[in-house]
Amino acid sequence: MPVDAKFWFDWIEASIRLATPLVLVAMGGVFAERSGVFNIGMEGMMLTGAFVAVTGSYYTDNVLLAAVTAMLAGGVLSLVHAYVTITRRANQIISGAAINLFALGLTNFLYRALLGSAGRKRVEGFPQWKIPVLGDIPVVGPLLFDQSVIAYVAYVAPLVFAWVLFRTTWGLNVRAVGEYPLAADTAGVSVPRVRYLSVFLSGMMAGLGGAALALGAVRYFTPGMTAGRGFIVLGAIIFGKWNPVPVALACLFFGAADAFQLRAQTFGFEIPHQFLLMLPYLLTIAAMVGFIGRTRQPESLGIPYDGQGSSA
Amino acid sequence: MASRVGSRLAGTAIAVFLAFAVCAVLILLVGANPLEAYAAMLEGSVGGIAALTTTGVRMTPLLLAGLGVAISFRAGVFNIGAEGQLYLGAIGATIVGLMPLGMPSWIHVPLALLGGIVGGAIWAAIPGYLLAYRGISEVVVTLMLNYVGIYLASYLVDTESGPLGERGASYSQSAQIQTVARLPALVAGTSLHLGLVIGLVLAVALWAMIRWTPFGFRLRMIGANPIAARYAGVRVGNQIVAVMALSGGLAGLAGAVEVIGLRYRLYENFSPGYGYDAIAVALLANSHPLGVVLAAGFFGALQAGANRMQQTVNIETSLVFIIQALTVIFVIAAPKVGRFTFPRRGAGTPIEEARGEAVHAG
Repeated sequence: MPVDAKFWFDWIEASIRLATPLVLVAMGGVFAERSGVFNIGMEGMMLTGAFVAVTGSYYTDNVLLAAVTAMLAGGVLSLVHAYVTITRRANQIISGAAINLFALGLTNFLYRALLGSAGRKRVEGFPQWKIPVLGDIPVVGPLLFDQSVIAYVAYVAPLVFAWVLFRTTWGLNVRAVGEYPLAADTAGVSVPRVRYLSVFLSGMMAGLGGAALALGAVRYFTPGMTAGRGFIVLGAIIFGKWNPVPVALACLFFGAADAFQLRAQTFGFEIPHQFLLMLPYLLTIAAMVGFIGRTRQPESLGIPYDGQGSSA
Repeated sequence: MASRVGSRLAGTAIAVFLAFAVCAVLILLVGANPLEAYAAMLEGSVGGIAALTTTGVRMTPLLLAGLGVAISFRAGVFNIGAEGQLYLGAIGATIVGLMPLGMPSWIHVPLALLGGIVGGAIWAAIPGYLLAYRGISEVVVTLMLNYVGIYLASYLVDTESGPLGERGASYSQSAQIQTVARLPALVAGTSLHLGLVIGLVLAVALWAMIRWTPFGFRLRMIGANPIAARYAGVRVGNQIVAVMALSGGLAGLAGAVEVIGLRYRLYENFSPGYGYDAIAVALLANSHPLGVVLAAGFFGALQAGANRMQQTVNIETSLVFIIQALTVIFVIAAPKVGRFTFPRRGAGTPIEEARGEAVHAG
């Protein structure tokens, strides 16, 4: 494959496509972590979202309905995480790990039960839509504005999430609860309420991210198809310092890495393809190693709130 | 003490019952009879010698990796990368096992096991170091290294280009390891191997170590309160790296015995997620080494019974993973009875502060 204009074009186009699910998941993750709750269960919620979206699309042929159902499925799972970690104050990592196991088992089981006979039949996916005017700009138009509709959601989401986080009362509450829950509590903000909603949001966005993954390009479900993307998002959140827009750019970076490894495999490099497959994961570690020291995470992240401020 | 253990067991029993109850609904939904399914599962896991040995075989990697995860939890460190460490252990054992050393079995086998321990220990020491000295979340790094480890094994056994790959094989695998490097069978004519005994002995040894040795005391100290541990003179950073290496070494051993005790080759993607199940095992055991034996036995029995269930009532084996996960969720969601006593550390709290460095400065 020659490195020409078409190569760059295809690569950037694929980067956007592959980053879309990551961006959506990451936006919810930022809110959960900003409120003080790790959600490593986003991997499982994303997988569940992917499965529900494909199943929904398979049975109804209605992509919007499928996406909404996927969000709800992710949301329901996140409520389990919220209950276990906020109400019961159990460890957040353990709860997330258990939810991931549950989601993997459940989607495997239901996949065979519900879609088994359908095999890998392609379902209705998110339609591609060329934005009028913008789509006609040379080069940039076809690259950025002739994408799947879900990609546009991923363009807008970081701006919306950043605005909510930094410019609204609700966003202030989320940040306050994550930094110093006792102070927020004293000021009359319900710590559990804010955390529940933030975690629920992360579950819904993870479900939507799963839908974006499954209905974006491949349009079918395979067991375990998220393959750690929900975990890569955790790295992107750190990389982007818990700020929606930089986090989205970090996701784009990981999407580009993913797109590169797919391309490089057909490229005839001397590197064995397994090493290329490792690339996104290694880059996540490298990004964390390279940028730590300049990041500061929400102060109460990972610590359950017991109403006495004795957690720190 | 006895009553605490008793109430924990009772709480876990209720959680197990609830998990089975929920899954019974799932079985009904796919049009099968839950009682028949569970009967088949019981038959396939404990109904006779063959079933019991299958349970033992499935239990072995869960036991060893579960011990590894439990040790890290006791120290307040979240090693959730047992899956990758298990692959590195399998790689280490395979490399040693393939070598024509010309040594007797009693030397070659321990060397292969050592290869596995070293592989897993290195893989876990990396995130341990990054946590202890750079303040980087071990959670994300161990998760990422799982995928790297799995792909590394795939590369090594690639049938075309892998250094360990068997050329022309239909599946990505290594050649068979030396006969003298294999673990002996426990019951002649079955696949149950010495790995189970190794796991049981180690469970007791680790229990004693945590309870009575200075290392075990320091481990519990950094788990309970890293700041106090530092003031008491514990070099918290070194202790974290040591605990992670031990934890990964045990997971590596799990991978090693799978290779030299059961399969005699390294296969691509050989683990059906033992490393992830090990997290659930450690949790169910409340990170107690002897509890890990029980929890691994339970999960091993579930997985052994799953095949029989699939054969007789055509229920997907993945059902048992749902049972496992639900059991854990019900246990951690339960009120007071059997509550887990985890060190309440999130990244960015005591361990980092206890290192006495300003990691977050700037």
